[in-house]
Amino acid sequence: MSTTDSSPAQGTPRYGMVVDLNRCVGCQTCTIACKHHNDTPPGVQWRRVLDVEQGEYPNVERVFLVTGCQHCANPPCVPVCPTGATRQRADGLVTMDYDTCIGCGYCAVACPYQARTIAHERAWYFGTPSPQEERVFHDERVGVATKCTFCVDKIDEAAQTPGVVPGLDLEATPACAASCIAQALHFGDFTDPHSNVSRLAGENAHFQMHAELGTDPQILYLYEVPATTPGRDADEVDDIRGSNPNDPLVGNRQTFWDVRAAMNFILGGMSSGLAVAAYPVWALGGIPDAALPWFLAAAALGMGVGLLFVLAEIGRKARFLYVLRRPQSSWMTRETYAVAVFFPAVAANLAWPSPALHAVVALAAMAFLFCQGRILHAAKGIPAWRHRLVPWMVVASGLYEGVALAALGLAALSLTGGRDSPEPSHLFALAGLAGAGVVLAGVNAALFRAYRLGAAKAGVGPLSRRDIDAIAGGMRWIGHLAPAALFALAATGAGVAGAPLALVAGAACAVAGGVLWKYTLVTRACHEQGFALPRLPQRGSGTRAAPARFGLG
Amino acid sequence: MSRSGTGNGARKRAGEVWKPVYCYQCVAGPDLMKVQVEDGVATRIRSNFDASDDHPGGGRVCVKAYGLIQKTYNPHRVRQPMRRTNPRKGRGEDPGFVPVGWDEALDAIAARMLDIRSRGLVDESGFPRLAVSFGGGGTPTQYMGTLPAFLSAWGPIDMGFGAGQGVKCYHSEHLYGELWHRAFIVAPDTPRCRYVISCGNNAEASAGVAGVWRQADARARGLKRVQVEPHLSVTGAVSAEWVPIRPKTDAAFLYALLHRIVHERGWREVCDVAFLEDSTNAPYLVGPNGYYLRDPVSRKPLLWDVEADRAVPFDEMDGRRPVLDGVRVAGGVEEGPDGEEWRHEAVEARPAFQLFLDHVREHTPEWAEAESDVPAATTRRIADEYLAHACVGETIEIEGRELPHRPVAVLLGKGVSNGWGGYPCCWARTMLAVLVGALEVPGGILGTAVKLNRPADSRHKSVRPMRDGFMDYPFNPTSRQEWSRHPGIRNAFRMMVPLAANSPWSPALGPAHLPWLFQKQAPEKWPRPTPPEMWINYRTNPSVSSLDAREVAERVAEFPFIVSFAYTLDETNWMADYLIPDATDLESLQLMRIGSTKFIEQFWDRQGWAVRQPVVDPVVDARDMTDIATELARRTGLLESYNQAINRGAAGMRLRSDAFDYSLDDAQVHSPEAIWDAVAHAASHDLTGGGQVVGIDWFREHGFLLRPYSEMEWFLYPTLKERRVRFELPYQERIKRHGAELAHRLHEMGIEWWDRQLAEYEPLPSYEPFPDIWIDYAREVGRDPDEFPFWALTSRSMQYSWGANVGIPLINEVAGNVAGHRGVLMNRGAARALGIEDGELVIIESVVGETQGRAVLREGVRPDTVVMIGQFDHWVTPFAKDLGLASLNSVTPMALSLTDSTGSVADLIRVQVRRAGAADLRRHAVDPAAPAEIHAGDGRRAAETP
Repeated sequence: MSTTDSSPAQGTPRYGMVVDLNRCVGCQTCTIACKHHNDTPPGVQWRRVLDVEQGEYPNVERVFLVTGCQHCANPPCVPVCPTGATRQRADGLVTMDYDTCIGCGYCAVACPYQARTIAHERAWYFGTPSPQEERVFHDERVGVATKCTFCVDKIDEAAQTPGVVPGLDLEATPACAASCIAQALHFGDFTDPHSNVSRLAGENAHFQMHAELGTDPQILYLYEVPATTPGRDADEVDDIRGSNPNDPLVGNRQTFWDVRAAMNFILGGMSSGLAVAAYPVWALGGIPDAALPWFLAAAALGMGVGLLFVLAEIGRKARFLYVLRRPQSSWMTRETYAVAVFFPAVAANLAWPSPALHAVVALAAMAFLFCQGRILHAAKGIPAWRHRLVPWMVVASGLYEGVALAALGLAALSLTGGRDSPEPSHLFALAGLAGAGVVLAGVNAALFRAYRLGAAKAGVGPLSRRDIDAIAGGMRWIGHLAPAALFALAATGAGVAGAPLALVAGAACAVAGGVLWKYTLVTRACHEQGFALPRLPQRGSGTRAAPARFGLG
Repeated sequence: MSRSGTGNGARKRAGEVWKPVYCYQCVAGPDLMKVQVEDGVATRIRSNFDASDDHPGGGRVCVKAYGLIQKTYNPHRVRQPMRRTNPRKGRGEDPGFVPVGWDEALDAIAARMLDIRSRGLVDESGFPRLAVSFGGGGTPTQYMGTLPAFLSAWGPIDMGFGAGQGVKCYHSEHLYGELWHRAFIVAPDTPRCRYVISCGNNAEASAGVAGVWRQADARARGLKRVQVEPHLSVTGAVSAEWVPIRPKTDAAFLYALLHRIVHERGWREVCDVAFLEDSTNAPYLVGPNGYYLRDPVSRKPLLWDVEADRAVPFDEMDGRRPVLDGVRVAGGVEEGPDGEEWRHEAVEARPAFQLFLDHVREHTPEWAEAESDVPAATTRRIADEYLAHACVGETIEIEGRELPHRPVAVLLGKGVSNGWGGYPCCWARTMLAVLVGALEVPGGILGTAVKLNRPADSRHKSVRPMRDGFMDYPFNPTSRQEWSRHPGIRNAFRMMVPLAANSPWSPALGPAHLPWLFQKQAPEKWPRPTPPEMWINYRTNPSVSSLDAREVAERVAEFPFIVSFAYTLDETNWMADYLIPDATDLESLQLMRIGSTKFIEQFWDRQGWAVRQPVVDPVVDARDMTDIATELARRTGLLESYNQAINRGAAGMRLRSDAFDYSLDDAQVHSPEAIWDAVAHAASHDLTGGGQVVGIDWFREHGFLLRPYSEMEWFLYPTLKERRVRFELPYQERIKRHGAELAHRLHEMGIEWWDRQLAEYEPLPSYEPFPDIWIDYAREVGRDPDEFPFWALTSRSMQYSWGANVGIPLINEVAGNVAGHRGVLMNRGAARALGIEDGELVIIESVVGETQGRAVLREGVRPDTVVMIGQFDHWVTPFAKDLGLASLNSVTPMALSLTDSTGSVADLIRVQVRRAGAADLRRHAVDPAAPAEIHAGDGRRAAETP
């Protein structure tokens, strides 16, 4: 199974757009024409034009930036989709199948162009449906991801009509381009060297937005006045500017994944970590066979509750099993497969305990944890998530919390077991877990520090960095230093009265740190990529004005 | 390629059709569009691609057109005629409207009308008892069917109660533009222009689809535009350069450009001297009293003939060169006001151009910098760029004729050409064109239509020579014998404003705010103010759209009987006695002229007619305006003269000519379909010379009918040459004389409160520190000017244009993507100094009141300026009243001292800006958590956050 419907064949067009920043006047006619043609509900704008300023008075430039789905040649939304609802056609169009989409929002956080919307409720412009809205409302789009389709219906109809060329024939051209009153939007086939878009792209300097992300977007932006005024490089978006959430170029917090999604990462991470940590401790005799089911049941319970939170988040709950359809590329699908192994294995192990099943449980949990890290990393639209250390941090945090929970479990056994003298293996396990806790505290601390120090360079904006920085103190003291010290105390003082208490306190701190970090990362430090204008028309006031011209030009 | 276009991709459904109509929600239209209709319900709108090759904007419609479906299905519409039950009127009085039948409503209105007719059409003060107001700069004409025929049949009507006219329009430019080059509106010859200096002209918001389309093409071609304005508008945004300027000092900048060109660069070297000599009054000799020195016999103005070394009448030069500068001693007669004459045997006379040179001598770029904050070097560079692009001496071929080619233009915005300073700016703007011969020639500055001169359908036919060698102009007379001694209507345009002429458009071009002002407190020696006994308002909401709108609402409340054609409840019809719902854009029938040249940038090479037609099943019990007008005519006994008015052309086309007769039977009641069928036959017959005569059904199927229109018609210069007429520039002898005569007349009546305005009748307009007029206004009302350190301005919104769609949520949604639509634009640094955060509620207070909105902090606005887009301080209009927006109209005063001689007022005022206190926050009705500006319009977020 492929995420692409077919490979580009000879004669297959590759559709895209050329946007002329010098022509666009920001009038929003494209926005509203799109809304008409595509019947989008209140607040949903598949084609949107931003009103952007650069510079400071008295050296200012104002630019109108057309945004929307870029129908990337290498679309990050497609592989992440767990259901196959988002696909890429041979002609380059990135499509949505509303009947397959579960509304998980993964494609939306994977899109660095903020192109996707999920409207969870029916909404009407005047509060109640108008006769027009009654006719054009799309029930199939409630609770699923939607975005610009390049008016695929027009293109497909044109394909049935000989001689009709999308981009030239207005009937067969996306509504935005066909409506544009400045001829700023052009649509066409980039494989045809004579098409309007190929010609414009060939004759004019242009850029792709966020080209550095490797998405190869199929909207090219022109920024020069042909033959008269060269463009210029944009200013760096510094931290002052990047900290202004009202700046249209600056990404705001994503709202697709809220605390419900965070709960999956929190509970799923610590539970899978527990299942993983429990295995070696059990294998080394630290957990009695009789106690092991409790550990596994706790892990399964935690993971299950986390998954219920996810179920609560998705838009189309009845379709949740569609999540299994994209194992070839989606880490969300793969996570679900890990779940699909984990729970039966736990159940089987409870019924027929065996070392092999124990191992399967641990491996499935590890796979689950690994998938969680990759899920966040693949969300290309959120710079704080796609950071290269995030998968490692998710795994390290999960294992750290798992060790902590395992230690808690053992401490509970020692405190409630009623034994006068603990088994040496038990003490050994406690000390071992405490030691592992010390090590993992160090690893997590190092990863967290490396992440913070490298965040700006990795493209994480100041707003997300501010949110991460806000928890740095808490993470250092509660998440890393306190557990390390308490675990060290517990390790060195194993068998001494009070050591289990130090272990419990250390474990609680370690888990709290993990919760704090994941909650922050998923729901706070989750600012979208924002938009970029790497190059600009040369115009504006003061130093930004076009150069003086004493000839006809 | 097929452009017939009746499909919409794969969305075709059974019962779906696309029907052609036009959108005319602003003067920049009409634009042609199609409405998708499914079983009587309008579902989608798109451009009428059939017109792509004919329309100067590619056949597209702008963002506003797409709001028309929501406009149709707005649940807040007035659903049937309504009668007021609360006799008290006022903002705090619930009108208690109750539904009534059409017959009851029309009978009641007709009874009132018949009562008026029985007592005489004018009242004891000499004012018409019936007043009618329209909004939208003439756009209602294209919606109100045959109402003009009813008004024509009625007799005297006061159409002078303004709703923003004279403030929200290009007022001085309308008047002086028509005088100088038949330019009610001015536009560059955009397809050929190369360099534009725009003082606040907001073309990208105001000039409609054709303007945006043509300007974008010109930019891509390399047109350079320099935008001079206090804030960076959308037009400034897409200009090559933005020059921030202190509000109301544009004249200083423009005068300095003139100075740079004629004094620093040397007019002989850089100007189109031949044009000045042959096509203007630059060589006209002016005597010591400031009037032309004339031949004593022929009374023709004299020029100094270089070769003959003597003065000769202007039309006897026979190709010889006149002098443009210096002083000559000559004999002749000066004709002053009221027949006063000065005979000179030998007197020093100066060519008008010499006076012009003297007039701008002191206006150096350094002087202008001190006034305007525009650096002198910038002014010099812009003047030099202008000259470099002017192509003086070059020609271009248009349709086989060789014409001068001058691809430079200077444009003015509304606040620049309105109120004090408007005359100097309009004059300087036109003089910049005159100096290089760029007036009414390819590439230069063009007029687009006439509204004051006649005939209305041709600028060229209105070019009639007068004795002095200029175009005749229908000044309202100021002579002792002919002057209108009575105001006539309450804004007194015939009495007070000679330039306003006396066409059907003239009432709207008088001092349209003065009736509201005088209604409260009449000035001395003025007829006792009387409210109109019946006031009809149609598509206008002066209680929101006028200067000092709250004050206007109070005056409206004093009117005894108001009939409002009403779409939804609004702030003006809140005071109405009857609400009459007329059919809206997608529900009513009308034929409209399209093509030729009109309004801002509609320069077509086609002309013809287009239809607006009912395309949806009725959703409320509204009636077509033509039907309503016919019923009123019938019930008031005016049917015969009403039908005759239609036959004469009151529906846009005369129905009878030498070539055809489609006239209606005078005595019969005709349906809207029958009336417009007759108009369609006459219009198509007239357009095609009888070659393609079609009825209304043909238009309803095809949408429009066009025939070629010569591009030569765009340029007035060839017509002036043919008729041996000169542009009346730089010298304004007629203005001077009319001013002097008007002063005599008013002083004879004892009226002295117009003296400041009379001083503006100068032959060469003087610069004065115009900002001081507004700064000092605070003193006039007993306040300290230092209390009000900011300028408050407004700026046009393409998305809202005339404001009538402010109640449409779809428009509000997309307009929110454009900065300033959700609050008050402020300079970020200036806001920081006041401790104002982005999105914070601020109070804007002037001497007359306050308004409040959320601060939108931007860099593209001067630190001394705040900008309120639109005029949205609504308190009744559904949806709009909950937007929590600020409006300049709530803080701009109506005052004689702020009114210029043409009767116009600039749309700005000095204000203070402060953070809202706790009490203000409580009063502010909107959700204080609502995010400000762009992100509030962020669709995805809005959808994500229920």
